[in-house]
Amino acid sequence: MVSVLNTRKIIHCDCDCFYASVEMRDDPRLRGRPIAIGGKASRRGVIATCNYEARAYGVHSAMPTATALQRCPQLILVPPNMDKYRHVAAQIREIFSRYSELIEPLSLDEAYLDVSESRHFQGSASRIAEAIRQAVAREVGITISAGVAPNKFLAKIASDWQKPDGLTVIRPDQVDDFVRALPVTKIHGVGKVMATKLTALGIENCEQLQGWSELALVERFGRFGRQLYGYARGVDSRPVKAERQRKSLSVERTFAEDLSPGEAADAALAQLIDELQRRLRPHAEQAIAGAFVKLKSREFKVTTIELRQEGKLDPACLPLLMIQAWARLHSPVRLIGVGVRFAAPVEQQQLSLF
Amino acid sequence: MKFSISRDALIKPLNLVAGVVERRQTLPILANVQLVLDGQQLSLTGTDLEVELIGRVDLAEEGQASEPGEITVPAKKLVDICKALPEGSVIDVSQDEQRLIIKSGRSRFQLSTLPASDFPSVEQGHGGQRFSLKQGDLKRLIDRTSFAMAQQDVRYYLNGMLFEVNPGLLRVVATDGHRLAMASFNGDINVSNSAQVILPRKGVIELGRLLINENDDAELFVGSNHIRVVTRDFTFTSKLIDGKFPDYERVLPRGSTKTVLGSRAELKQAFARTAILSNEKYRGIRLLLSSGNLQIVANNPEQEEAEEIVAVDYEGDSLEIGFNVSYLLDVMSAINGETVKFSLSDANSSALVEESESSDSQYVVMPMRL
Repeated sequence: MVSVLNTRKIIHCDCDCFYASVEMRDDPRLRGRPIAIGGKASRRGVIATCNYEARAYGVHSAMPTATALQRCPQLILVPPNMDKYRHVAAQIREIFSRYSELIEPLSLDEAYLDVSESRHFQGSASRIAEAIRQAVAREVGITISAGVAPNKFLAKIASDWQKPDGLTVIRPDQVDDFVRALPVTKIHGVGKVMATKLTALGIENCEQLQGWSELALVERFGRFGRQLYGYARGVDSRPVKAERQRKSLSVERTFAEDLSPGEAADAALAQLIDELQRRLRPHAEQAIAGAFVKLKSREFKVTTIELRQEGKLDPACLPLLMIQAWARLHSPVRLIGVGVRFAAPVEQQQLSLF
Repeated sequence: MKFSISRDALIKPLNLVAGVVERRQTLPILANVQLVLDGQQLSLTGTDLEVELIGRVDLAEEGQASEPGEITVPAKKLVDICKALPEGSVIDVSQDEQRLIIKSGRSRFQLSTLPASDFPSVEQGHGGQRFSLKQGDLKRLIDRTSFAMAQQDVRYYLNGMLFEVNPGLLRVVATDGHRLAMASFNGDINVSNSAQVILPRKGVIELGRLLINENDDAELFVGSNHIRVVTRDFTFTSKLIDGKFPDYERVLPRGSTKTVLGSRAELKQAFARTAILSNEKYRGIRLLLSSGNLQIVANNPEQEEAEEIVAVDYEGDSLEIGFNVSYLLDVMSAINGETVKFSLSDANSSALVEESESSDSQYVVMPMRL
């Protein structure tokens, strides 16, 4: 068992349908009705977030708006207001920072907090989590769910356990029982494909997963097998990293009408490159390891071509990459994206003896 | 001064002595080697004012002494001339007023000189400890630890090696603040008091080169300002670093919770291979320890990755810990023996590395945060 001394206290906070909650907060008429934040169907928009009322109709994020409207004809579509969401996210982060300095934001509305060293509430992570939830409800006016556990893996599962507006605590002595009953589909990183493979092996929950050796899992699933081995036992030693470095940055656009190679596509690409360079400016100190172009065909087939870069972006390579990507698709495209992959940040630090 | 000597008998001590002479000197005479002929004994001396080395040759065996005297000549030129002469040749050396004449066969060289009376000598200290041990035992201590000395660190007391003399025990310690190497010789160290002195880096390296006759004795004098090592062939004197060496006892890990035994050769090779794809500047590698297994992973900024799995003798909780791979390789090279033992606690605490069989040497390596 994990010794008491080494036990960490991690809180995973996750706003409930963040964009939708913010919009419902600001417009009471939206409350109680199915709403979604996203682009217009006529513009081939996709859903970014939807509220629980909309989810009841089978609407979910990343779904094309047109599909969402088929499933839920009375769906109210709200255009996204990113500046507002960023402002709200900053308010929430300020609340987090009252309780811990070790905060790892995952997105605007989601973060891990390591409160192992926190002195608030006699170090009770559960009470800190509840205080955060109340402060967010009172000061920001939206609900946030939280999970408390000895590691990131379990904290994330816990925050989802009683969503929305829920708090779930997995104490160290509950980890074993909790994990044994945990369906493997709840493991972050186990998607449809992985779940099918595991089911084929007769593995549906973590107790069954525990019957497999690390070696056997690594042989079947590569590096993820090693993580699976730990997760099945409720073990996850990943630290909460305060400064999360971006791994990549990209901009993409879905067009109202499909594009074929030609002037319009070139112009669209040039615009995207401008936008990419503008958004890269604050990241000037990060070395760029690769540049890529992404195309999505009319048939929703996605292809991405990447070229290695030596620290800086050479924008001239992107039009060439687009030509190559097009050669693979042989089809008009509905979406063009460009982006860069950053080199792994150098954060190696030698510790001292004295 | 006048003598003749076989080239090969001269070259050995001359090379050692010239090693002390700095390329860039503050005083012209420090570029010179001093030759002193007294009876049948030829002494050659080189110094940089910090380290002084005197090599000795008995001309009764290796040549012929005709006329005593003392003089200094440019060290590097004398070495180059002797090296360039054919093996087995005999060298005649004589003084002609301000010149030193070197003749061998049909070759003749005239070297400029400076008077021996101007040649600085390192002062002798008073008192101190005096004892002797086999050259091989002293050399082992140096060879096992010198790699861990700091180099041009602002903490000047780390740019050297601690010699700790105790009755029955001679211990040396070197550290650069990130790792520490310690070796002990238990034996007939016949002293009454304990002493701790720091020998500067250059002195340590020179001394290591001198100790070639393993079974011969070396006599050590450890004073308050100097250390002196005397063997049949040479006298080595070095100033000491005036400073307080860190309390090494305090950084030796105690109460490690994880003990790992592995094949030294396998681990050394695995470290060497993963090192290829580690960050060239920071040299970080990740060790992922689990029961029976040590996985070694390196990544570099080019996103390349090396991964090794080595079977080890370990039962217990898993641990992920980062190290500078060069530090681990240094230890793997300094020790021998089949099996190496790692004692670890957690990712932020130092590791103790030693041979599992005998442990006259201990190595402490601080981890890296990766």
